[in-house]
Amino acid sequence: MLDVVSGILSFSFYEGMVFGLVAVGVYLTFRVLSFPDLSVDGTFPLGGAISAVLIVDGVHPFAATLAAGGLGLCAGLVTGLLNTKLRLPALLAGILVMVGLYSINLRIMSGANVSLLREVTTFDKVGGFLGLSGGSIVASITVALSIAVIVFIILNWFLRTEIGLALRATGDNEQMVRGLGTDTDKNILMGCAISNGLVALAGAVVAQGQGFADVGMGIGMIVMGLASVIIGEGLFRPKGVARLLLAAVGGAFCYRLFITVALRLGMAPGDLKLITAVLVIIVLAVPYIRKKIRGEWIPPAVRW
Amino acid sequence: MRKKGLLVLVAGLCLVLILTALPFMAGCAPGGAEVYKVCITQIATHPDLDSNRQGIIDAMAEKGFVEGENVEYIVRNAEGDMTTAASIADYFVSLKPDVINAITTPSAQTVVASAEGTDIPVVFSSVTDPVTAGLVPSWEAAAPNVTGVSDWFEMPPQVELIKEVLPDITVLGTAYNAGEVNAAVQAQILNEVAPQYGLTVVEATAASTADVYAAGMSLVGRCDAVWIPTCNTVGGVGIESIIKVGEENQLPIFGSAVGMIGTGLVGGASVDYYWIGKAAGYMTARILSGESIADIPPIKSAVSTVVYPAAAERMGVTIPQAVIDKADIVIE
Amino acid sequence: MSTTESNSILQLRNVSKVFARGTMDEVIALNGVNLDVYDRDFVTIIGSNGAGKSTLLNIVAGVYPPERGGKVVINGDDVTNLEEYRRAAYVGRVWQEPEVGTARKLSLEENLSLALLRGQRRGLRAAINKDRRQLFREALAGLGLGLEDRLNTPVGTLSGGQRQALALVMATVSRPAILLLDEHIATLDPKTAQTVLGLSDAIIERENVTAIMVTHNMELALRYGNRLIMMHKGRIVVDMGEADKKMLTVNDLVNAFEKAAGEQFKDDSILLSGSE
Repeated sequence: MLDVVSGILSFSFYEGMVFGLVAVGVYLTFRVLSFPDLSVDGTFPLGGAISAVLIVDGVHPFAATLAAGGLGLCAGLVTGLLNTKLRLPALLAGILVMVGLYSINLRIMSGANVSLLREVTTFDKVGGFLGLSGGSIVASITVALSIAVIVFIILNWFLRTEIGLALRATGDNEQMVRGLGTDTDKNILMGCAISNGLVALAGAVVAQGQGFADVGMGIGMIVMGLASVIIGEGLFRPKGVARLLLAAVGGAFCYRLFITVALRLGMAPGDLKLITAVLVIIVLAVPYIRKKIRGEWIPPAVRW
Repeated sequence: MRKKGLLVLVAGLCLVLILTALPFMAGCAPGGAEVYKVCITQIATHPDLDSNRQGIIDAMAEKGFVEGENVEYIVRNAEGDMTTAASIADYFVSLKPDVINAITTPSAQTVVASAEGTDIPVVFSSVTDPVTAGLVPSWEAAAPNVTGVSDWFEMPPQVELIKEVLPDITVLGTAYNAGEVNAAVQAQILNEVAPQYGLTVVEATAASTADVYAAGMSLVGRCDAVWIPTCNTVGGVGIESIIKVGEENQLPIFGSAVGMIGTGLVGGASVDYYWIGKAAGYMTARILSGESIADIPPIKSAVSTVVYPAAAERMGVTIPQAVIDKADIVIE
Repeated sequence: MSTTESNSILQLRNVSKVFARGTMDEVIALNGVNLDVYDRDFVTIIGSNGAGKSTLLNIVAGVYPPERGGKVVINGDDVTNLEEYRRAAYVGRVWQEPEVGTARKLSLEENLSLALLRGQRRGLRAAINKDRRQLFREALAGLGLGLEDRLNTPVGTLSGGQRQALALVMATVSRPAILLLDEHIATLDPKTAQTVLGLSDAIIERENVTAIMVTHNMELALRYGNRLIMMHKGRIVVDMGEADKKMLTVNDLVNAFEKAAGEQFKDDSILLSGSE
């Protein structure tokens, strides 16, 4: 039984790291910049598509993965430009990019699906380095953890620099930041770019892990990212840059864990989503119920 | 206070994990004849995939592998979500089953990716092109631990049937989800084959089930009849919308799978998904009996012609009696 | 008091501002204003609603430009057409609501770090280091509110008065050419308003800042600062120096207004707020 539990935990840990990247990306736009960026559903498969096509063409998987992240950055720039230069509302800008990317992804892959099963992926390279198969959970976790750690270190440093601080303030009080002499439009562009770069990177990793890139693999990503961020905030109540980043990843881990557990409980197919939702509700209601029992004051709910 | 919250959470998670792991402890109990563990995963719920699954189970029973006696089936459905399919794949691999059956291309791909490095045999079914999908190296040979049954079919019988029912047809329409690789491939082949029969082809695409009705409506007036490929979106989940378009506008709709046609289309040359399931079931039985997968090359399914006269009437078409007599399956 | 052109920090020449021109709601907020503010002046501006006080501050800050023909010069540079965010280096501002000038979710030292780099290019150096933290600690200690021990707490946990005091320090820490106080105690309760006003005066005095304060309260306008300006209908109608200010009561001020403006002073809110 121990190996069942460890199997569940290790797989959820791996997924938590990978989808944690998505959660951090969503956190950067939705929370830090107060910019509701919906293009995530399109940039995730973009990352998968780019990396898959490059790998099939013979490019080294590490380079292909980085390239995927780079193009995700560009996609984010487009969303930001639509909003800052053409004055399209943020929501619409994100939706337009997401919709446009569907067609673009189809073109990149010359179809709906590119198989990576017979190709050498990042997992195979890392697995080979460790003397293991690319499909082993250890290889998977090594890849995911390495990427997550590198991203965390870079972001943690960047968000504490002068530019990074101004970026964080833009979402909090844009008028004040403008009054202090910063071009907030540039901050929005930077934030959208970084966010979508991370999401595309995650898409590239997932595609290599699951053995194929598919035009539909991004559906529901924004929901997963938001749920992870909100669960992370609700559970860990983080303060400060480092804790906030960790909370996003932690939230992703919990969310994937709930899904994995619900899957193994083996309810009727189709009930999986309901069970996941119920688990999330229970987890977030616990602090509320505890406060009520103790008769403590409960602050009003945030809108989002 | 925050630390306490974390403790409660961790304790709760442990409890849940123990509860979910309990069923598996029972599976490790000794005694009794050997019980084979067979996992089945499918990408979504619709009639053809369900017949496929049933075919597997029935074929296995025929060969002496009966559920509850010497076979334990673990069945999961991804309900259209690729990420869930990947989770299911990983879950199945962690169970160390004797065989995994994967129905449809995305489910099969995720299973093969997760099973890499293990020697768990994988039998796919309802995968249109397993070579392009990377499941097997070629049509002639199985992969070290992967083989299966494809629902690839030849296009000429489809077009021939349509021409037999509607001899004066000049323009053929088709509707599918460009995001499904099997459907896109079939549409491409239709474009290549149709001109040989003197037909031009017009297309409409639907990116999701919500777009199916509009895609169907966009074909009205542009063509004499419509053919739907084996597309999960248009031919599976969204088929009712297409039937509505056909009946309301007296536009004959032909299909490519028995389940699809059975919901109310004129007819078609179909791959029989129940047959496919049984073929996959027979393969699984052979593997459980000790045969090596390398000796079991992938196979394609045979094509049967299907007609549904009552549905045809609803769409304004009377199927010639000669065609009905010749058909392999006539739906009442 | 010696005043020469050479230490004129702020010059407004023929500054006008019209809103909703050509419509029924057209309003002439400023009408040909000319003003010189000199180094170390602490100017209080008072006037009824619609007199143009806030508009004047907005023009100085660069929120919008004056009508064609008007000129704004700060420290010798013509800034008339510089947008707000380009003019940031010259102007520090404290608004009426504490929320506008501070970032709620960021900590005190993060807010101060942002304010410190007012108008400067931001780079990839760490936003907060030991030296800066020390600077912030000293600046906040000068307030005497204990905020220097709370550098790491989010600004949202501060009370209104504390936030406004922080905003004050933020507005001055980068040593701008001119400090604008836009009715910055109006939303605070009387006791806190008194404290913050005292702090404002102390900081202005200590840091030798040139400041303009808009207030509704005639008594405070008389008590603080070295110069009093009264506006009415977009014009400056009274402009008196320290010596003259010291001797006046609120009633005298009202009379002076009526003489200059040629009308009755009708704004009750100002008259009544003069009593403590």
